[in-house]
Amino acid sequence: MFRLDADKTVEFCDGYRRRDFLHAGTLSTLGLGLTGMMGLKAQGAVDTSKEDVNCILLMLVGGPSQLDTWDMKPNAPIEIRGPYKPIKTNVAGIEISENFPRMAKHADKYSIVRSLNHTAAAVHDTGHQMMQTGRLFQGGVEHPHYGCVLGKLKGPKGDVPPHVLLPRPIGNTGGNMPHGQNAGYLGKTFDPFVLNSDPSDPNFRVPDMLPPDYLSALRVDRRKNWREMVDRSVSKFETSSDARLLDSTFHQAYTLMSSQKAREAFELHREPEKIREKYGLNRFGQSCLLARRMIEAGVRFVTINMFETVFDEITWDIHGSRPFSPISCYRDLVGPMFDMAYSSLLEELAERGLYKNTMVVGLGEFGRTPKVNPAGGRDHWPQCWSILMGGGPLKGGTIVGASDEIGALPKDRPTTPMEVAATIYKGLGIDIHHELPGAQGRPIPIVDRGVEPIKELFA
Amino acid sequence: MLTTLLLLSTLAVESPIQKPATGWNFRQHVIPVLTKMGCNQGACHGALAGKGGFKLTLRGYDPDVDYDVLTRQSLGRRVSLADPAASLILQKATFAIPHGGGKRFAKDSLEYKVISEWITDGAAPPSEKDKQVVALQVAPATATLKIGDEQQLNVIAKYADGSTMDVTRWTKYTSTDEGVATVDDTTGKVKMNGAGEAAVTLWYSSRVLYSRLSVPFPNQTTADSYAGFTMKSFIDELAQKKWKQLNLAPSKVADDATFIRRAFLDATGTLPSAEEVEQFLSDKAADKRAKLIDGLLDREEYVDYWAYKWSDLMLVSSRKLNATAMWDFYNWIRESVRQNKHWDQFARDIFTSTGSTRDQGALNYFVLHKDPILLSENATQAFLGQRLTCARCHNHPMEKWTQTQYYQMANLFSRVGIKNGATPAENVVFAKLQGDVNHPRLLKPMRPAPLDGEALALDDTRDRRAHFAAWLTSPNNPYFARSFVNRVWGNFMGRGLIDPIDDVRATNPASNEELLSALTADFIKNGFDQKRLIRQIMNSSLYQLSSESNATNQSDNKYYSRYIIKRLPAEVMLDAMSQVTGVPTAFAGMPTGTRAMQLPDVRVQSQFLDVFGRPARVICDAGERSSDPSIAQALHVINGDTLNKKLSQPDGVVALFQKLGLSDARMVDQLYLSAYSRFPTDDERSTILRNLGQARLVKASPEAMKDARRQAVEDMAWALLTSKEFLFNH
Repeated sequence: MFRLDADKTVEFCDGYRRRDFLHAGTLSTLGLGLTGMMGLKAQGAVDTSKEDVNCILLMLVGGPSQLDTWDMKPNAPIEIRGPYKPIKTNVAGIEISENFPRMAKHADKYSIVRSLNHTAAAVHDTGHQMMQTGRLFQGGVEHPHYGCVLGKLKGPKGDVPPHVLLPRPIGNTGGNMPHGQNAGYLGKTFDPFVLNSDPSDPNFRVPDMLPPDYLSALRVDRRKNWREMVDRSVSKFETSSDARLLDSTFHQAYTLMSSQKAREAFELHREPEKIREKYGLNRFGQSCLLARRMIEAGVRFVTINMFETVFDEITWDIHGSRPFSPISCYRDLVGPMFDMAYSSLLEELAERGLYKNTMVVGLGEFGRTPKVNPAGGRDHWPQCWSILMGGGPLKGGTIVGASDEIGALPKDRPTTPMEVAATIYKGLGIDIHHELPGAQGRPIPIVDRGVEPIKELFA
Repeated sequence: MLTTLLLLSTLAVESPIQKPATGWNFRQHVIPVLTKMGCNQGACHGALAGKGGFKLTLRGYDPDVDYDVLTRQSLGRRVSLADPAASLILQKATFAIPHGGGKRFAKDSLEYKVISEWITDGAAPPSEKDKQVVALQVAPATATLKIGDEQQLNVIAKYADGSTMDVTRWTKYTSTDEGVATVDDTTGKVKMNGAGEAAVTLWYSSRVLYSRLSVPFPNQTTADSYAGFTMKSFIDELAQKKWKQLNLAPSKVADDATFIRRAFLDATGTLPSAEEVEQFLSDKAADKRAKLIDGLLDREEYVDYWAYKWSDLMLVSSRKLNATAMWDFYNWIRESVRQNKHWDQFARDIFTSTGSTRDQGALNYFVLHKDPILLSENATQAFLGQRLTCARCHNHPMEKWTQTQYYQMANLFSRVGIKNGATPAENVVFAKLQGDVNHPRLLKPMRPAPLDGEALALDDTRDRRAHFAAWLTSPNNPYFARSFVNRVWGNFMGRGLIDPIDDVRATNPASNEELLSALTADFIKNGFDQKRLIRQIMNSSLYQLSSESNATNQSDNKYYSRYIIKRLPAEVMLDAMSQVTGVPTAFAGMPTGTRAMQLPDVRVQSQFLDVFGRPARVICDAGERSSDPSIAQALHVINGDTLNKKLSQPDGVVALFQKLGLSDARMVDQLYLSAYSRFPTDDERSTILRNLGQARLVKASPEAMKDARRQAVEDMAWALLTSKEFLFNH
C-alpha cells in the first residue's frame, strides 16, 4: 500500500526538495495543521477508556408490527394475532415471531420494551422525530438526533466523524416533515456524515474518498493551503453560519482523506466473503456490517435507515395495499433481512468484545393496528409497540412493560419516546439533565425534567 | 402537559366567560372545553381510532358527530341526563374514576361547570342556528417588548350575529420562534426570550390568527444610520420602517463588482464574463445598474434559469412522463418564460386547456397527476403555497382548512379525462361529464369548490377546472399572487418574506407583512408580470446592499438589513465552474455545451448535481432542493472528477492561458474577473504571484517546467473555484 515514486524527486524554487507522492497511502502526511489540532483536542476531551459507550441505531422505517415481531398474541382471535406463530428463544419465557429464528438464539443479548407509545399524529414523520430526538418538533424548533448531541458533547474520536448515517437519510414518508436525523438547533456542523451510497453495491466505495491518480499528494496539499490563503482575504463570510459550515465540511473531508484508518473503515471489500454473506447481501445487511467497521474505527454513533421511504418499496409499512407492503413480506423479505443482519451484528460485536461498550437499538416509529385490516395488512398504531435495546450497559434477556391481550395499549409500564431517549443518553454516559444551547441561546435540557431512563434496563 | 393542566384547574382563574341566558351551547362552549382540555387532540380521543373505545373528531371539527358519540353511544353513560354528575365525561375528566388521560380539569373549574350545567339543562344538541365563529381578534395584535417581559394575550371570538365572546381561556397558543418568545398554552401568557420578532399563533374553533410580538435589537441607531440608504420605491420605505422598529441599520450599498456578480447569478444563474465585468466596472453612467438589469432580463440565460425554476415547481421529470412528453411540457414552460407570459395566464393555460398534450405541453401536468387528490394537493402547493395534506383526514390542525373544504377542492379535479393519443407521448385531456371524489367519512361527494371560493352544484356540467382557474387567478385570490411574489423575492433576497418559501399559512406570518402585502398588491395591479416584479426588486436599494454586516445587523437574518449570503444552487455552481474553466459538462443524451440549467429533466445522470442537492421533483416542496454544504460535496470537489477534469482539460482555460503566453499576473487577473467578477487587490495579487513563483521548477527540462507551471495555475484556479467567495452568492 505504501508506495513512493522515488524517482520523482523534484526541486522547487522555494528551496525544498520534495517527493512527489502519487499514491494515497501517503496521504496521512496531509492535514497536520487544523485537523491534527482537532484530533488532539478530541483526544484530550474524550476518555478513551472502557466507559466510552457507542451506539448503533437501527431505524426500522415503516413501523414494524408489534404483533408480528416481538410481542406475539397467539391466544388472540385470528384477526388480531395475524398469520405468524411464536417461537421460543434462548431465554426462558421470552417468545418472538417465527420470522426471526436467528434472533431467537440471542435473546439474552437484547431486551424488548413492549410498551412504547406516542401521542402525536399517527404519521411516520412524527415518530421518526420522537424516536431519534426524544421530542416532537414544535414552535419552529428542530431537535437534534442522539448522535448529533453525542458528537457535540464528545467530539470525534480519532479521524472519523463522531456520527455516521447509513446508507441514506430517510426520504419522503408522506408527512413533509423533518425526520429528526440532523443536528437541528445545534447547527449543521453537527449533522451526521451521510454515506449516500449503497454498501451492497458491488462497486461500493465512499464516493471521492481519495484523490484521483492524476493528482499528486503534493498538489492536493498545495490546493488546500492555497484555498485557505485565497479565502483569508475576504472577511464578509465570517458572520454567515453557512459559510462557516462550508469551511468545516472541507476540514472534515481532509481529515477523512488523510487518515488511512478512516478510509479503510469504509472499505467493505476487506471483509471476507463469508462474513459479508452472513449479514445478508442487501443494503441493510451490508450497512450493519459497515456499522461494525465504523465502530471499530472510532465512530461513536451509527444510524442505519433500514429503508429510505415507505412508498413503492417492500418495508415494515404493511398496509396490505399498494404502494405499501403486504403482511407476508415479514416472512418473505423484511423479516429475514432483519433477522440475518441484526443477529450477525450482535454475534460479531460480542465476539470482538465490542458489545459491552456498544449499544444496539432497533426501533420503528410506531406499531400497527391490532386488527388486521380488510386488505390483510395493518395500519399505523402509535398507541403501543415494541422496540429492541441491548449492548453497552443495557441488560439483555429482559422484557420491559407489557401490552394488553391484543397488543393495543400498554398494560404495564407505558414507555414514552423520551424515556427511550433518556435511556440511550444515559447509556452513552451523558448527563440527561445537561442543557444544550437552543435558538438564541435558550437552554434546552437533553430530556425534560421528570423523565427518567428505563431503569429496568440497567443492572 | 398534564402538570400544566392540573395547575390551571387549581388556579381558579377569573374568566369573563359567562353562561348565556339560553344556557351553555354545545358548539360554542362544550366543544371548546373538550378541545382546550385536550380530550379531542390527536393523541387522545381525537385519534383516528379514538382511545379506549371513545372517539371524538379531531379538535371538535364535527360537532354533530361528537354529540352523537357523547350522548347516544355507550348506553348514555358518557352523558347521563338522569344523574349528570355520574356522566363518564365528567367522572373521567376529573379523575374521579381511572382515566388513561389523567385529570383534565377540577370539579370547581369553569370547564366542569360548563359541561355539567349543559347536561343538567338537557344536553341540547348542536343546531343549524348555533352561533358560528366568523373571526378572532387578539389584543395586543402587535407589541414591542423587552427581553424578560411577559405579555398576556386576550382573544375574542366574533360570531356571525355580531356578538362576541372572550375565548382567551379556550384558545390554543403556539410560538413560531421560541428563541424570541415562548407562550404558556394554558394561560396565553407570553414571555420574551430574545431579540427579533415572533408570532404567537392562536387557534380557536378552526379559526386562526396571530399576535406579533417584537423585541428590538439592543443597538443604538440614529438618523445617520439610515443616511446612506436611498429610497427608490416602496420596497425600500417598508424595509426601512421595519428596521427602525427593530433598531437595525442597513449595511452599505454593495460595490459594482459585487452587484454585477449577484445580479447575473440571481437573474440568470450564470456569471458575467471577465469582459462583461471589466466593461461594467469602467462604465461611468449613473444608471448603469438599471441598464444591466434590463439587459439581463432579455438574455437567453434568463429563460433557461426561470424555465428550470418553474420546472421544479411543475415537477417536470421523465419519472412519470415519456421523454417526448417531458420535453413538450418543458418546452411549453420555457416558451412561457420567454414570452414573459404573465403568471395568471400561465396558470390558466394549464387549467383551462383541453386537447392533445403534443399541441399543448401544459396539459402534461395532468398526465403527471392522474389522481385528483394528488393533483389538488400539488396544485395548491405550487400556485398557492398551501400545504393541505393534513386536511385529507381531518380538519387542518394548524390552519383554517377543514376536511370538507379539502374534498370540495379535490372534487374540482375529479372530472379530468385522459385518453391515449396516437403515440405513447400523446395523451388527450378532456373534461368528463361525470365523476366525483367522495368525502371518506360522509361517503358522498362534496360540492366542488376552491378552498374558500364559491361552490359549484354537483350536477353542473361545466369544466370544473375552469371554475378553479377563475378563482385561482382572480385578483381577489389572497394566496395566488402572494405565493408567487414570495417565491420570486426569495430567489433574489436569499429568504422568502414568508419562510419556508412555500408555506404561506395564516399561522406563518411574513417577516415584513406590510412589504409583502404591498408587493403583492403591486404585482396584481400590474397584471402578474414576472419581469416587472423582478425589475422592481433588483432596482431597489434593498437588493443592492452589501452582505457585510455592521455593528447593528450581525444577527439579522430575516429583515434584509444586509444581503443574505447563499450557496449557489447545484446547477448554477456546475455551470459557473464550466464557464470559468472553459470546459462544458457532458450530459448524456444532450448536445455538447448544454448547461445544467438547460436540462429539462432532473434524471439526467450527474453525480455533481446529486451531491450538491438538485431536487428530485417527486413532490411539490421547495425543501426538495438542498443547499446545505456537506462533507460529500467537499470530497467531490477535492477528489471527484467534475472540477478536477475541467481544470486539467487540454482545451480548458488554463491550457489556453499557457498557449497565449499570459504572464502570471494577467492570468490571476483573468481568474479573479471570471470567478469573482472583480480584480484582485494588490495584496491578493502579490501573495498569489509569490506562491505561483515558488511553485516554479528550476533545474528541470523545459517540458517539466512548463508542466509544473500549468499545474500550479490549475491548483490556483482550483483554490479560487472552491473558495467561499466563489461558492456563495454574496
